[in-house]
Amino acid sequence: MFYSAWDKQLGSSIFIILLLVISAQSDVPRPRGVSLSKASLYSPTKDFTCFDGTSTIPFSYVNDDYCDCFDGSDEPGTSACLNGVFHCTNAGHRPQNIPSSRVNDGVCDCCDGTDEYANQEACPDICEELGKEARVKAQQLAELHKAGNSIRLELIEKGNKKRNDMAEQLSQLEKDKFEAQKMKEEKESLKNDLEAKENEALQVYRDAEEKERQQKAELEKQQQEKEANEQFIRFDSNNDGVLSADEIKVVNVFDKNKDGEVDAEELKYFIGEKDSIDKEEFIDITYPLLKPLLMLEQGMFRPAENEEEAEESEHDDEEDPKITDMEDLGEDEGHDDIPEDDEHHEEQTDDTKKYDDDTQKLIDEATEARRQLAEAERAVREIESNIRLFQQNLEKDYGLQQEFATLDGECIEYEDKEYVYKLCLFQKVTQKSKNGGMEIGLGDWGEWVGEDGNKYSVMKYTNGIACWNGPNRLTIVNVSCGLETKITSVTEPFRCEYKMNLITPAACDDSNYTQQQSSHDEL
Amino acid sequence: MKTLSLLLVVALSITSSLAVDRNNFKTCEQSGFCKRLRPFKSEKSQYALNLDTVMVHGNVLGAEVVTQDNQGEKKHVLWRYTLKLSALVDGTFRVELDESEPLYPRYRTQLALDGEPKEDSLKLISNENGKLTVANSQGHKVIITADPLKFEFYNKNGDLAVVLNDNNQLIVEPLRVKREKIGDDDEAAAVEEDESAWSENFKSHHDSKPRGNEAVSLDVAFPEANQVYGIPQHTDNFYLKTTTSGEPYRLYNLDVFEYELDSRMAIYGAVPVLYSHSKRHSAGVFWHNSAETWVDVVNYADETVVSSLVNLVTGGRKTRVDARFMSESGVIDVFVLLGDKPADVFRQYTRLTGAAPLPPKFSLAYHQSRWNYADENEVRSVDEGFDANDIPADVIWLDIEYTDRKKYFTWDPEKFAHPTEMVANLTAKGRKLVVIIDPHIKREAGYFLHEDATEQGLYVKNKDGNDYEGWCWPGSSSYLDFFNPKVMDYYIKRYQFDNFPGTSKDVHIWNDMNEPSVFNGPEITMPKDCRHYKPPQDGHEGISSYWEHRHVHNEYGLFHISGTHQGMLDRDGGRYRPFVLTRSTFAGTQRYAAVWTGDNSAEWGFLEASVRMCVSLAASGISHCGSDVGGFFKYPEEELMTRWYQAGAYQPFFRAHSHIETKRREPWLYPAATMGRIRDAIRRRYALMDFWYTLFYEHSIDGLPVMRPLFQEFPQEEETFTIDDTYLLGDRLLVRPVLSEGATSVKVYFPGKDSKTLWYDTDSYQAYPGNGYTTIDVNIAKTPVYQRGGTVIPRKERVRRASTLMADDPYTIVVALDEQNKASGTLYIDDGETFDYKNNKYIYGRITYTPDNMTYKFIDKNAHYPTRSWVERIVIAGIKNPPKSAKLVQEGKVTPLQMTLHRGNDVLVVRKPAAAMAKEWEIHFTY
Repeated sequence: MFYSAWDKQLGSSIFIILLLVISAQSDVPRPRGVSLSKASLYSPTKDFTCFDGTSTIPFSYVNDDYCDCFDGSDEPGTSACLNGVFHCTNAGHRPQNIPSSRVNDGVCDCCDGTDEYANQEACPDICEELGKEARVKAQQLAELHKAGNSIRLELIEKGNKKRNDMAEQLSQLEKDKFEAQKMKEEKESLKNDLEAKENEALQVYRDAEEKERQQKAELEKQQQEKEANEQFIRFDSNNDGVLSADEIKVVNVFDKNKDGEVDAEELKYFIGEKDSIDKEEFIDITYPLLKPLLMLEQGMFRPAENEEEAEESEHDDEEDPKITDMEDLGEDEGHDDIPEDDEHHEEQTDDTKKYDDDTQKLIDEATEARRQLAEAERAVREIESNIRLFQQNLEKDYGLQQEFATLDGECIEYEDKEYVYKLCLFQKVTQKSKNGGMEIGLGDWGEWVGEDGNKYSVMKYTNGIACWNGPNRLTIVNVSCGLETKITSVTEPFRCEYKMNLITPAACDDSNYTQQQSSHDEL
Repeated sequence: MKTLSLLLVVALSITSSLAVDRNNFKTCEQSGFCKRLRPFKSEKSQYALNLDTVMVHGNVLGAEVVTQDNQGEKKHVLWRYTLKLSALVDGTFRVELDESEPLYPRYRTQLALDGEPKEDSLKLISNENGKLTVANSQGHKVIITADPLKFEFYNKNGDLAVVLNDNNQLIVEPLRVKREKIGDDDEAAAVEEDESAWSENFKSHHDSKPRGNEAVSLDVAFPEANQVYGIPQHTDNFYLKTTTSGEPYRLYNLDVFEYELDSRMAIYGAVPVLYSHSKRHSAGVFWHNSAETWVDVVNYADETVVSSLVNLVTGGRKTRVDARFMSESGVIDVFVLLGDKPADVFRQYTRLTGAAPLPPKFSLAYHQSRWNYADENEVRSVDEGFDANDIPADVIWLDIEYTDRKKYFTWDPEKFAHPTEMVANLTAKGRKLVVIIDPHIKREAGYFLHEDATEQGLYVKNKDGNDYEGWCWPGSSSYLDFFNPKVMDYYIKRYQFDNFPGTSKDVHIWNDMNEPSVFNGPEITMPKDCRHYKPPQDGHEGISSYWEHRHVHNEYGLFHISGTHQGMLDRDGGRYRPFVLTRSTFAGTQRYAAVWTGDNSAEWGFLEASVRMCVSLAASGISHCGSDVGGFFKYPEEELMTRWYQAGAYQPFFRAHSHIETKRREPWLYPAATMGRIRDAIRRRYALMDFWYTLFYEHSIDGLPVMRPLFQEFPQEEETFTIDDTYLLGDRLLVRPVLSEGATSVKVYFPGKDSKTLWYDTDSYQAYPGNGYTTIDVNIAKTPVYQRGGTVIPRKERVRRASTLMADDPYTIVVALDEQNKASGTLYIDDGETFDYKNNKYIYGRITYTPDNMTYKFIDKNAHYPTRSWVERIVIAGIKNPPKSAKLVQEGKVTPLQMTLHRGNDVLVVRKPAAAMAKEWEIHFTY
C-alpha cells in the first residue's frame, strides 16, 4: 500500500523538486541516495542510461522503486536493486555509502536518518551530535599524537644512534674476525706439522699393539674351542659325536630359567629347531650361549642383579654425553671435530708411560698445538656469532625512522584472569598460566603486516608452539599511539591466534595522523 | 552440538580418521531381549483369540487372546491377554494387546500421541469359520483369524495392505515373579534360565532388571510392497534394506560419538513408524513403544533374500516386504495406516502424533552457530561480520560455554556479563539469540537448580532409589525427571524472564544431550534400571511404584522438549511462538521442536547423508530438519563448504555449526570468491523465505512433509522409489543438491512423464520435460533446483540483513506454466512471530494463472492481515503465446501494466504491477 501510493503521488518531477529542497545544503539537485560526485550522471531532462551501459530508461524510472539496471544504478535511493548503493550526506558528520538493502529496513544506518525515509520519525538526524563527538575524539587523538610525537622524536634519535652504534660495532667485529681468522690459520698449520711428526712416532707403537691384540684373540679362541670340546664330550653321554635333545635335557646347566627342567623353549634357544647338533655346531653356536651359564654354575660370576645394574649405569653413562653433545651442537656447529681430537688425545695420555721420552715430547707439543687451534677456532666462532646477531638486528625493520629500534628486546607483561602474557618486542610472545605450568610460545618476531599504507600499525609474531591438532600459535599485535609503551588487551579471536593491542609513543605520528584525518573527510 | 568428544578426543588425539567406537554400543546379540527374540520362529502362532469373548462396543472390538501349549495332546491355556482393535478416522486402525492380569501395569508410551486419536465407527460384519470380519465407516476392512491369531487389513480398494502376525512372531512376554533358588535338582534348569532374565551385563555395566523379561514382538507383512521406509534415525538409505545377513535397524536414542554412515546403528533419534509403498498402494504401521526397539526387514525383491524363502512365503512373487518389531518392554500397541497413497499414510501418521505448529518465521532463515562464541565481544564481531560482508543472518547461537561453568539458566559472569545488552544489539537488526539448555544438572553446592532438585526430589533415581549421578559436561551431574508433573512445573517456571535474566522473547532454546547423554553410562546413556516417576496408585508398592528408564528411554527427550516449549509459551503469556531445537527425537517431537542430525563431520559422505536423513525424518512427521552446515567435526575446505551451504539453503533447518577445536569458518574467513558463493546460497534462501513459510503453514494444517520424497508426488513412477538424493519442497520445487567432490555434472531425475510435467530451472527458466534422468552441468556456483510446471512461487528479492526486516518488502511472483499454460500456488502471510494468526490475523491466498487472467484470492475469507507488501514483479515462465496487454484490477481501480518478453527462454516479465497484497486482485490479459 505504502509503496504504490508513494509511487502514484510522487511523479518524477515533483520528486526532483522535493529533493532540491532537501538537499539545498549541497546546492546540487540530485536524486535521493546519489553522492555529489555522481550527481551529474542523473539529469532529469534526459533519459537515464545505466552505468554499465546495458540499457536506457525514461528518467521517471529512476528511483521509482523498481530495478531496471543490472548494476542497480537506476535505484540509488530505494531498496529495489540487490546490488545498489545508497549515499547519505550526513551533513555535520562523515558521509556514508550503504548497500541498498539497508534502505527502509527499519534500522537507522545513516546518522541523518535519510536511509529510513519511509518512517522518518524512527530515525532523527543525529549527525551534528555524532559529528561533534567525533570531532572531540579526533581532537583528543590529535593531541595525544602531538604529545606522543615528542617522545617519538626522542625514540627516533635514540633508535638511529643505536643503529649507528651497531653498524660501527659490526664493522669492528668484521675486522676482529679477519684477525682471528688469520690467527686460526697459523695455528692450524702449526698443528698439522706437529701432528704429522707425532703420527710418525706413534705408528711404531700402534703396529706393536695391533700385533699383540691379534695374538691374544687367537689364544682366546683356541682356549674357547678347547673348553667347548671338553663340554661336548661331557654332555655327549653316548659318545656318538652328536648331541641329541635327550642328552641336553638331562643336563642342568641348559635349564636357563632354573625351573628344574629343560623345556622346548630352552632347547630351541640352544640348538634351534633341530633334534640334535654335531660338535662343530656346538662349538660355533651353542657353546657361546652356554658359557655364561657354565660360568654361573661354576660360581665365576653372578649376573642376575649386577648385570642389570651394570647395564643401567652404562646407560646413564651413554646418555649424559649425548645430551652434552646435543647442547654443543645447538650452541655451535663447528664444535664437532674437537671432542674427537680430545678423545684421541686422551687415549694416548692414559698410557703415557709406555712411550719413550722423545715420542712423549712430540705428543705433548702436538697436544698443545691442538689446544691452541681449538681456542683460535672458538674465538672466530664467537665473533661470527656476534656478527650474525648484529646483522639480524640491523636487518630488522624498526620503522621508517628507526622509531621502534630502542624497543627491541623490551618485554611487557599483561595479566588477565587466567594468564600472564609477555611480549618481548621484536623477539617473541609467551603465555603462562597463573595456575603454573610451562611458558607457551605464542610466536616469534615475524614482520610488520599493517595494511593500507600503514605497515607499522600491525606486528605479526609467528611459529609459536603448535596447538593440539591445530596450527602453530601466532600473535597479531596492533600498535597505536600512547604516551607509554604498554599492552591494553589480549584476546584469542581465532583458535590459537592471539591478538594484542599495544600502545607506544613510537606509533604517535603528528604529521601522519593529520594526513589520515583529512583523507578520511574527503569520503 | 557435541558428544563427549572433548574427553575422548584428548585420548584419541593420534587417530586422524574419524570412526565410531562400535564397542561402546550393543549389537543385537549383546542386547538380551534382541538375542532372545530374534531367532524365534514358529510354524504356528501360540496366540489364539477366544471367539466366545468377542465384544464390539463403539469403535472397539474387544476379545480375550490366549497362548496355548501346542505340544501336548490336549491344548491348555498358558496365559491370558486382552485384545483391543479400534477403528479410527482417516483409514487407521489400532491394535492393542496386553496381559489380562499383569503382575504390575506394563508401561504405555505417554507423550507420542497428540491427544486421543479420533474414533470412527466399527461394525462386525461376520463371525464365521473362525474368522471375524469388521469394517469401519470408510470402507476399510479387517479380517481376524482366531487360531492362530492373524489380522489382515484391506484398504478402500479391497487390496490386502497389511497383515499382522503372518509370520507367527507375535510375542508378549508375561511378567513373572522372580523364583528364589531352591536346592531341588529339577529346578536347576529353570533357575539357570532365570539368571539371564533377572540381570544383564554390558561391558562394565550391570542392569538389575527387577521386572525380569517383559519384551514384546510383532511381525508386519506388506504383501504388495516394493519398498518400505521410515524408522529414523539411521544414516542408511531412506528405503530400508533386508537385514537377515546383518544387524536389525535399532531404535534407541544414543549420543554416538562420530557416528558412521550407511549404518543401521541407533543414533540420537527413534521414530518407530514404517511405511510401505508400491505402484498399487501405500500403507504403514506406527509401533507405539518408547523402549529399546529393533526392527528386522525382509524385502523379497532383494537379491540377498534366498529364493527358497521367497517361494515359501510369497509363492515366488517378489513384491512383498516383511518387517518385525521387537521391543524390550511395554505392550503391543500398533497403529495400522491404510493409505492408500504416500501422502495419505504420511498424513495419517501426523494425525496421530501431531503436525508441527507454525514455527516463528526467523527459524526458517539462516542460523550461525559455533561451539562456542566465546564472549559478548565475539558475538558482536560475528554479528557485525555478517553486515560488513552483506550476508543475511537471523540468529546467533550460544553453546554450553555461555553458562557459568555449565550451570544452565546462568550466564558466565565475566564473558557474558551483559546478556540483555548483547541481545538488544542483535534485535536492533532484527536478529535473535538461541542458547543451549541441557537436561543434566551440575551437582554443585550453591547452584540453585541442584539444591532445589535435591531438596524437592526432582532428579531421576538410581536403582536403589537415590538421586542418580552420572557424568556429563559439568562433571558430576544429575538428571531432571520430566515424567514427574512437579518437575515439569518447576522446569517450566525456569523460563520465566525473571528466573532466567537476560532472556527475552527474542531468546530461544536449544535442547541438546537429551537422549539423555551420560558419559559414563552404558552406551553413553542412563542405566536402564534407573527409576522415573509414576503416578501413585492404590495397591502399588515396590517395583510397581516407579517406571524404569528402560520403559521410557526413547521419550525422555520428548518430555524434556515439551517442558521447554511450555516454559517458553508461559514466559510471555503465550503471545510469541517458541523455537526449540532438539537432538533426541521420538514420535511427536515435531509438536515442540526442530531437529538436526547431530554431530556430523566435514566430509562429503555426511553432506550426502544429510539429505536422506532429513527426508526420512520428514516422512516421519519431523519436517523441520537440517544438518550442521560445514560439518561439526573437522574443517570443510572451500568446495565442500560451498556445496554444503548450497544444499543447506534448501533444507528446512539451515544452521552452520562447528566443534570448538576446529578452525573458525564464518563465511568471510574463506577467500572472496567462495564467500561470494556462500552469500549467494544464503540469499537464495532469503528470497524464498515466504515460500518456506507458506510450506510450513500448510504443513501445520495438512501434516504432510515439507521436504518430501519424489514418490509422494509421483507414486506410480517406480524409479523414484529408491531415489533419496533428490526431493521436493512442497509440491513445487525439485532439489537435487550437488553432493560429491569435483562434480561437473549431476544426473537429475525429472519425474512426471505420464502427466507431461515440466521442470523449470530456477536460474534460467529453461524447461525440462519429466523424462527421467537428465545430465545437468554444474559449475561451482550451480545448485540444480527446478520449479514444477503448473505452480506459482512467491519470492522476495530484496534480501536484507535479517528476514524480519523483509516483512514489508514487495513480492516477485514466479509463475511456471504447465502443458495447459496454467499454474497456481499459495501464499501465507502473517506477523511471523505471534499467535495472532489463530485469531484470523493472517492471509492465506492462492494465485492462479490462466492465459486469460491471473487472480489473487483469499482461501480463508475470514482471515486478514494488513501487510504492506505489494507485487513488484511477475515472472511468467514457459509462455508460448504472450498477451499484448495486461491490466490490473484491484478494489475497482484499473491500472494498465507494462510487460517485457524475453524470447530466448519464453519468459514474460510484468513490470511493477504494484498490487497491494493485503487485498485480492486480478490481472486481465488481452491478445
